[in-house]
Amino acid sequence: MNLDAALETYVVESQELLTQMEESLLAFAQGSVDAETINAVFRAAHTIKGSAGLFGLDGIVGFTHTVESVLDQVRDNTIPMSAELATLLLHCRDHMGHLVDAAASGEEIDPERAAEGAQWQGKLGKYLGKEVETATGKIGGEGAVAAFTKSATDYWHISLRFGVDVFRNGMDPLSFIRYLSTIGDIVAVIHYAHDMPPADEMDPESCYLGFEIGLRAATDKATIESAFEFVREDCRVSIVEPSSKVSDYLALIKELPDEEIRLGDILVRCGALTQHELDAAISLQTRPKLLGEILIDQKAVLQPVIQAALDKQKQVKESKGHESRFIRLDAEKLDILINRIGELVIAGAGISLSAKRAGAVELLEAAATLATLVEDVRDSALQLRMVPIGATFNRFQRVVHDVSAELGKDIALSISGADTEMDKTMVDRIGDPLMHLIRNAMDHGIEPTAARVAQGKSAKGTVRLNAYHDAGSIVIEVGDDGGGLKRERIMAKAIERGLVTADQKLSDSEVYDIIFEPGFSTAAQISNLSGRGVGMDVVKRSITDLRGTVEVESSEAAGTTIRIRLPLTLAIIDGFLVGVGKSVFVVPLDMVEECIELTPASREETKGRDFVNLRGKVLPFIQARKLFGIDDVRGRRENILVVRYAGQRAGLVVDELMGEAQTVIKPLGKLFQAVKGIGGSTILGDGRVALILDVPGLLQHVHREAIDGVLKAA
Amino acid sequence: MAKTILVVDDSASLRQVVGIALKGAGYDVVEGCDGKDALTKLDGRKVNLIISDVNMPNMDGITFVKAVKQLANYKFTPIIMLTTESQEGKKQEGQAAGAKAWVVKPFKPEQMLNAVSKLCLP
Amino acid sequence: MLIEQNMTIYTAAELKPLILAEVRGSESPEFDLAAVSEIDSAGIQLLVLARREARSAGRMLKIVGVSPAVSESLSFISLAAGTHMRREDGAPDRIAAQGNGEART
Repeated sequence: MNLDAALETYVVESQELLTQMEESLLAFAQGSVDAETINAVFRAAHTIKGSAGLFGLDGIVGFTHTVESVLDQVRDNTIPMSAELATLLLHCRDHMGHLVDAAASGEEIDPERAAEGAQWQGKLGKYLGKEVETATGKIGGEGAVAAFTKSATDYWHISLRFGVDVFRNGMDPLSFIRYLSTIGDIVAVIHYAHDMPPADEMDPESCYLGFEIGLRAATDKATIESAFEFVREDCRVSIVEPSSKVSDYLALIKELPDEEIRLGDILVRCGALTQHELDAAISLQTRPKLLGEILIDQKAVLQPVIQAALDKQKQVKESKGHESRFIRLDAEKLDILINRIGELVIAGAGISLSAKRAGAVELLEAAATLATLVEDVRDSALQLRMVPIGATFNRFQRVVHDVSAELGKDIALSISGADTEMDKTMVDRIGDPLMHLIRNAMDHGIEPTAARVAQGKSAKGTVRLNAYHDAGSIVIEVGDDGGGLKRERIMAKAIERGLVTADQKLSDSEVYDIIFEPGFSTAAQISNLSGRGVGMDVVKRSITDLRGTVEVESSEAAGTTIRIRLPLTLAIIDGFLVGVGKSVFVVPLDMVEECIELTPASREETKGRDFVNLRGKVLPFIQARKLFGIDDVRGRRENILVVRYAGQRAGLVVDELMGEAQTVIKPLGKLFQAVKGIGGSTILGDGRVALILDVPGLLQHVHREAIDGVLKAA
Repeated sequence: MAKTILVVDDSASLRQVVGIALKGAGYDVVEGCDGKDALTKLDGRKVNLIISDVNMPNMDGITFVKAVKQLANYKFTPIIMLTTESQEGKKQEGQAAGAKAWVVKPFKPEQMLNAVSKLCLP
Repeated sequence: MLIEQNMTIYTAAELKPLILAEVRGSESPEFDLAAVSEIDSAGIQLLVLARREARSAGRMLKIVGVSPAVSESLSFISLAAGTHMRREDGAPDRIAAQGNGEART
């Protein structure tokens, strides 16, 4: 049985459950405890343990069993939930995570961690009021394969009398006999007469059957008994071992006195006794002691030990209703699908182009219909990749909880826009940068409690995480209500580091941008929190890699907000095609604001400077021709494409406006990744390669130049 | 005709492993991720055996068993409850509702197969 | 009498009067089970009932044809039970399995 795929499912499932557990436990730690959530945590632990057993992951079973036991008593209100217990359970949750990770990689958990786990488990044991065995857990044994304690090849005799409700309870006596046939060879005889009422009163849904079974099998009594474990309360089972004394059979016969003769017959028939033995035995029935010997396994039916504990929790939960609608899917399959759709988009564009060239009207119409459909499919496919950012945001609850403890600050995390959806790849890759920004906000942004109180602020600091959609991009904000960035300190440091010169005139936002420069840090002392190998420059680079941008807004009164702007998806964009000489470029459509013609007259007006007057406003522009060093013959007409990003605008002077097209982004080769102003490439419908312009990069370039120009002029 | 078993548990991995084991033994398997979902699978198809967890969102195992016992076409279907040692009370409740068989979690696939084969061979 | 339905706990209540009518109404009651695709203990119990009723009326119950499913189920139950009954009260009846699936003993 290959369980690799299932194990993978188990790991993913466990991780999700562990995340849920963490969220709930954090809530407990903050004093918000409700029965529903306790039940959810219990269930998570329960499921992790239950499935672990299937894979023989005894380490997880053992450890989680203890956790589950404690949670069970919390459910029953035997153990009160406290912040202390919540914290302990958080540690246990982490340890479970390590155990699951170890299971995923097929490795043993490292001894240090194991020792840690034993320690947590020991502490849990104190809540349970008993020593907990911290070795690997035991596996529940109801169905355990019993070891053969005895080997016999002779006949067993099994006598069964089923209760009337057996059928109603879903049991089919035949199925037990079939099961016995998997253990050995059977000879069964129906013994129906007992208690079957007259035909008209006989209830066809009641069971009046009894069986006498001869079984030739090398097995033990426990195994045979176990065949009937599910009818134990509904069936009288008597088992006589092979090679038993004749008196033993007699005892069985005596046990069912009204059926004496017949049963004796049956025993002979089943091969348990010879006729001679039976006759001899019956004639010897003079010693009551012998007959009274009860050899039949009269294993007392375990009386239900009804646990006093009533289930106080309502289990039915509406909020979890969405679970069943999800299917789990390998992300790679999705990627393949999206890639194929990308190719489809290109192929579709090819058809449109050919149709246009051939002037085939019908074909054009068909191509247009196809294009619409492909667009829908594309949107749906991309939608499949979209996941809410909430799960990522919630992960930081724990970070904030732990880090505030480390820093000795009282900080809460406030989350909004958790429903905002974004590309899964992006969600995965934004985690680390966000982590750093949050740590940074807590460490450097929010003042020590004393300082806050002194300033009349609330003692509790707040870190905010917010997400929303804005003009074809996703915006994620990390904010704090701390003291804001200190312009002077940044400037001083920047000058000291040689990043700027003292006479440079910089706007506030430019100054704030300096914090993203490599090697920049204003913290008086680098605490071990912010020094974990990731600097703000790395944050910025990660975001740039995702075709995103970062901006900083800060004031002493309101604190600092870092705003990350990311594209909705990484795979396909609606592009606007422009021609420069013989080359074609693609500009992301949602960044194109308008197109205006650059007439020779207005070109004259610019007097060689890179500005035009756009309805009374200065619009700086770049000449694509100049930027990319294209020497082809200049077109008769030139156009300005007005692009906008994050509130900035600029013009791009191109020759030809070629219209909209869906564009599949192909990453640039390593060699070209450093090229400024180019974000990727794509293949056009006619097979030509077009470069995708990196508008944010271009805008930065334009403004740099413009500012330099102004500074020079000043 | 292969016997069909409905496996009801909120853990996808449990369903998967039990499913692999049962299919490997020659059963057909239908899955339900909670009681409510499982009831929608009892849509007239032949189901020879039901394996159900107790603790599940939306509709727990006990409620589910009671519901199955109300369905004319399924009320005599044998039901195996998945219980834990700590849930003796639940086991009794399940038996009272009509689920007379049980397997204790955590279990190994072969233990499940053994229990299933007592009620219904493939 | 040809039985075409499944002979299970789900159909037992419906089959019982039909089976009794055959046993009581016919001089030589017989059942053709060749079309029975499923039979369980409840179904077998009905056959047992039929045999008992036939016997008490001094008739012989015949089963003329069994499907593979019926044959499989009966294979676990020794037909010696039938002989045994005869021994007990001397009545000549027994379940005789004939047709395409001879029940094994």
